[in-house]
Amino acid sequence: MNRRTFVRLLGAVPVLLWAPGAGARSGVPLLKFSELYGRVTVRGAEYSDKLKGLQGQKVQMSGYMAPPLKPRLDFFVLTKQPMSTCPFCTTAADWPADIVLVIMPRGRELEPTTRGLQITGRLDIGVKKDEDTGFVSLVRLYADGVTTSG
Amino acid sequence: MKYLLGLALLASSVASAANLSIYPYDGAKFVPGQRFDLRIEAENVQELKDAAVTLDGRPVEGLVRTTSKPTSAEWTLRSQSLPTGLHELKVRYTDANGEVTKTARWYVVPAVAPRAKNVILFIGDGLGWNTVNAARLVAHPYNPANGNATGQLAMMSGLSGMATVTTSSYDSAMADSANTASSIATGQKIQVNALNVYPDNTADSLDNPRVETITALVKRSMGKSVGIVSSAFGVDATPAAFASYTRRRGDYQAIADQYFKGDVQPDVLLIGGSRDFIPSTAPGSRRKDATDWITDSQKQGYTFVSSRTELNAAGGNKLFGLFNIDNIPSYLDRAQYQTPEALGDFKDMPYLWDSTKKAVETLEKNPNGFFLMVEAGMVDKYEHPLDWQRAIWDVLELDKAVEWAKTYAKSHPDTLVLVTADHAHSLSVYGTYDAAKGPGKREAVGVYEAAGFPTYGDKRDANGLPLPETSRTYAVGFAAVPDYCETYLGRRVFLDPTVSNGQTGAAAGFLPNPKLCQEGAVTRTGNLPPSANQGVHTADPLPLFAFGPGSENFFGMMDQTDLFFSMARALGLDATRTR
Repeated sequence: MNRRTFVRLLGAVPVLLWAPGAGARSGVPLLKFSELYGRVTVRGAEYSDKLKGLQGQKVQMSGYMAPPLKPRLDFFVLTKQPMSTCPFCTTAADWPADIVLVIMPRGRELEPTTRGLQITGRLDIGVKKDEDTGFVSLVRLYADGVTTSG
Repeated sequence: MKYLLGLALLASSVASAANLSIYPYDGAKFVPGQRFDLRIEAENVQELKDAAVTLDGRPVEGLVRTTSKPTSAEWTLRSQSLPTGLHELKVRYTDANGEVTKTARWYVVPAVAPRAKNVILFIGDGLGWNTVNAARLVAHPYNPANGNATGQLAMMSGLSGMATVTTSSYDSAMADSANTASSIATGQKIQVNALNVYPDNTADSLDNPRVETITALVKRSMGKSVGIVSSAFGVDATPAAFASYTRRRGDYQAIADQYFKGDVQPDVLLIGGSRDFIPSTAPGSRRKDATDWITDSQKQGYTFVSSRTELNAAGGNKLFGLFNIDNIPSYLDRAQYQTPEALGDFKDMPYLWDSTKKAVETLEKNPNGFFLMVEAGMVDKYEHPLDWQRAIWDVLELDKAVEWAKTYAKSHPDTLVLVTADHAHSLSVYGTYDAAKGPGKREAVGVYEAAGFPTYGDKRDANGLPLPETSRTYAVGFAAVPDYCETYLGRRVFLDPTVSNGQTGAAAGFLPNPKLCQEGAVTRTGNLPPSANQGVHTADPLPLFAFGPGSENFFGMMDQTDLFFSMARALGLDATRTR
């Protein structure tokens, strides 16, 4: 089933921007997509020293929302570039290697958008499987602020 | 008489209420001894009474009857084979609606004396006639003094056989790589997305009725070695079609496992896409279990290599190479652009000619001979997003691998070399482009004699291939496109032609990638549905170029399934014998 059919329901949730405080706060370390991994070999990826050092801390990232999986965007995938494909819509999706799962706080949801996003949130790394969707993530942000950046 | 006809029509309509399917399908062809699973499925059955299945007039023994739902009945008998000749399977059953009958006729071709001991089969994924031609035009510019070609591709010169190949799927006029590669591998028409299996009525994609591949056949009945090489991720459709069986080409983990546990178990496997061969605990893995084929393959006697240097130095009789966690990047990315975005930490990856050479050197140790399939997988991967330059330069890389194989075949006259494709894309060379007037200016497109000859080849890379950047390029486009921005020129960092429009449900679709539009571009209105984000395969014909013994089996117009039978003839394949 094409999950995007569900997402239409989101029109009832008119919350795109949600930024407690100033959103992008000063003093919050910036994390770039290019800084996520140190080495990628045929045996898998290795987290960068910067990523390991920021584990559990609040960080700020910029990116784009991948076409969403669920009707209620309590989580979404942040990508470096806007994606043309809906990886969730096919079996065994071909994701880029550097993606970040953004988990919204309980009760907070977003509408799908193609605009650039700035996220602040707590960084969590390690292989984790979402039991509902089977989606395996390596890098997660538990968001506390989302703003559009362009 | 009218009354009788009416009765016949009534009987026929009752019969059609019940839906009876037989696999292998009516009209299927096989080589002697080629194994297949027999599957009979009756749907919309009410109170099944009796059933009879006969082959050539004799009852078929050993059928296993199942009932996957209350209104169906199925009969399965796996791993069957037949001798040369015409065969007829008749199915008859009776239920509350009356009697239903159906017949499937199969033909098993005669075996012939072998002409070739070895086969090297090159498959350019998406290598339609026009794609080969575009590569020829780039690699061998015309002499501006007289309009004569300055050379030919290796794949199209010194031929001893040539054919034009048509494609179709069991259930579609348009082809995908899974069923077309499967048609080459088995001689059967196969469903879209399926690998070497017939349809069935169960949800399990791995239990479908199978038909034996040429790689399994030559291994089982002739004791030959088998090699599979691809620049795509290794469980992608084309390499998978030569060693696995599934209804769903996305069964990546199962396909990876079948490489080492299936009926082929290639002696040489040189591919991209390590993420399907490393345990799920490794970041970047796509597996769902702890299987580690890098470690386990070595326990099975494989030498494991992961770089060009290791590959070139490797010995041994069984070789497993993984050269990237995903696809091996395009030739232009590996040899010319070398950007961190494309290469990452993979800075020492083999060229297709390296892998071809090492595969042959490994496989030829078997005195019984070998079958090697080499796929240029990235041609299709870049035709889909309309990046014709990356696609065409991967054809040039393929051509150098073919050149090496042709040289090998000259000193090994028992080796048949074939170059063909699985399907085409709608690529066409329609003019030239004056780069000084670009990017993206429609006025810079020249047609006919006003265009002048392109200037490829004024600068060349370390491998002798032309650089794509030159003052006058070809204007190349695709017939089947989404809305996108055409710049006419390539770029060092790949960009998708489209991005999501952010809409959902029926309004979901794709927009031209704004980054491409910003480069200065002509906006092209697409002709595919708004849900399409890239170009699609076509029904256009494909080339087949043949060199060496058995080439005479490849000529004229051929259906893709014929390629299997022509390879079998060249090898003298008779699988009623088992080594």
